[in-house]
Amino acid sequence: MIEMDALTKSYRKGAAVTEVLKGVTLRIRQGEFVAVMGRSGSGKSTLLNILGLLDRPDGGLYRLDGTDFSTATDDALSAARNRKIGFVFQQFHLLERASALRNVTLPLLYADDEPDDGTERAKQALAAVGLSDRTHHLPNELSGGEQQRVAIARALINRPSLILADEPTGNLDERAGVEILEIFRRLAGEGRTIVLVTHDASIASRADRTVLLIDGRIADGPGAARAAGLLGDPVAHE
Amino acid sequence: MSRILARRRRLVRDLFLSLQLLAAHPLRTALSISGLLVGGAAVIVMVAVGEGAERKVIEKVRAMGTNLLVVSAAPAPRVLGRPRQAPTSTLLRVEDAAAIAEESVLAVAAAAAVIKPVVVRSGGLNTSTTLIGTSPDGLRIRNIGAASGRLFDDEDDRGQRRVALLGPTVARNLFQGVDPVGRAIRLGSVPFEVIGVTRPLGTDTGGVDRDDQVVVPLATAMRRVLNIPFVHAVFVQSRSSADLERLEREVRDILHRRLAARSGTADPFVIQNQAVLLRTERGAARAMNRLVAGVIVLALLVGGAGLVTVMLMSVRERTREIGLRRALGAKRRDIRLQFVLESGILAAAGGAAGVIAGMAAAAAAAAFGRWDLIVSWRVALLGFACSTLLGLALGTLPAARAARLEPSAALRAP
Repeated sequence: MIEMDALTKSYRKGAAVTEVLKGVTLRIRQGEFVAVMGRSGSGKSTLLNILGLLDRPDGGLYRLDGTDFSTATDDALSAARNRKIGFVFQQFHLLERASALRNVTLPLLYADDEPDDGTERAKQALAAVGLSDRTHHLPNELSGGEQQRVAIARALINRPSLILADEPTGNLDERAGVEILEIFRRLAGEGRTIVLVTHDASIASRADRTVLLIDGRIADGPGAARAAGLLGDPVAHE
Repeated sequence: MSRILARRRRLVRDLFLSLQLLAAHPLRTALSISGLLVGGAAVIVMVAVGEGAERKVIEKVRAMGTNLLVVSAAPAPRVLGRPRQAPTSTLLRVEDAAAIAEESVLAVAAAAAVIKPVVVRSGGLNTSTTLIGTSPDGLRIRNIGAASGRLFDDEDDRGQRRVALLGPTVARNLFQGVDPVGRAIRLGSVPFEVIGVTRPLGTDTGGVDRDDQVVVPLATAMRRVLNIPFVHAVFVQSRSSADLERLEREVRDILHRRLAARSGTADPFVIQNQAVLLRTERGAARAMNRLVAGVIVLALLVGGAGLVTVMLMSVRERTREIGLRRALGAKRRDIRLQFVLESGILAAAGGAAGVIAGMAAAAAAAAFGRWDLIVSWRVALLGFACSTLLGLALGTLPAARAARLEPSAALRAP
């Protein structure tokens, strides 16, 4: 599903060049629920952007579903994001003036082939996250947990194989956070690949596997996490 | 192809959302379109003024007759050391007018005329004006009609009767609201009876008031007032204005032949071609219109700058939305199209408001001012199209900026 080899990425700010990813090698299988953990500045967001085809690596190899996108055009990346990837963000990123249903159908707007049953599919997606009775509500009429579930329904509408979640429970209380994680568990059970980025070890512990990112490199296994002093330090700053 | 069309249709449907966003900021939206409103209104008012002026020219043409040549006796040559006998050449005769009417193929009619400044008196009042003596044919050629009373006829001319037609300006100056028909006047020292007041003719292309004149039969003017054997001018009418240049050559030939036979002098006359004069005037009006068009373009550009500013603000504010749309699969051109269409809608709204404002302004100007405005649907459409197309064109600027945003950076925007 996901193959990364010696991936590097630097950012240039003026004359200074910051190397964020210093050779990341990572394999994620279809249907796996993986948590990527790391402190603020460890390169989590950069890794997620590259995984989500929002950004390109400088070096190394990244294959998604066997396809190498390193030379793909901007349009091809857009199309791949639309078809293969569902995004869930910490701040939900819902359109404030659109109903839950409209928010969920938004990715269909940019699909190459619009399904005839778009509205029906959106309703199913909302039902799958337990929001059948909230289809015509505006985001500000929903609780934080409900808003994030709308965002998950939106991520599911084009039936992507990969779901990328960036601190999806960061803005939620514990109970709502647990509900969201339950949904991810279930989706993984249905064969979708979930990559969840977090700095919270208790959340990471709910994934099949935790990948630790330290200073731009992967440190695998819970031992490494303990070594990095990440476990037992859930309130890292993001 | 149909796939692309379907995609475009969906994006247009998405505009609904953009419209809601615009409606959420009514003041800013109003501000952004106000410039285009003014620009669009300016287009309409200025074109209306232009068309009004054009119509005035056409009316003037109709009033004086476009099919008119005026042959005037040239200023007399001065011989050094000798007093000038007459201010103009004295060679033109009544018979020359008759000869032109007879010999010219293109002329429909020709009439001789004498023209001279004169003082008119009635009761204790007097006024300086222009005396014109011409035949009933001359009245027809020059479009002189009676507003009250009657015109003179061939009988009056042959009998050298002292009957006079007053122009409206003279009638006003001399009789001050009293009906002058049947009253007595003196032209110089010669008594006349007023038999009619002419219809208003307005000003000619030279700006001379054509209503400030007294018209009497040609024979009366020549024998009883001026006592001269020659005439000052011959009016020649052609079948159509298209013939005027050829008619001018024809008349020149005829007169050359006749005058050369009479005196041997070359060219003691000048020919005024009304069509040429009018063409010049209309050309001036058009040049003015072009200048005005330049000003309008400037106004529209200023209005467009307002729109661009507001749209750039909108792009900055919605950076995260743009990032989200990109993450969800929007291509750069989808984002571009979205913002261009939004600008287009704003501009169309501004244009429509401008049409209404412009038509109202034109109607007000026409009702209260001395402006002559014509607002046609063509003009309204032009104003609307100018605003809308400009909005669409300028909308590409903020749209390009929106499309250039990198999705990952846009998503992180504050």
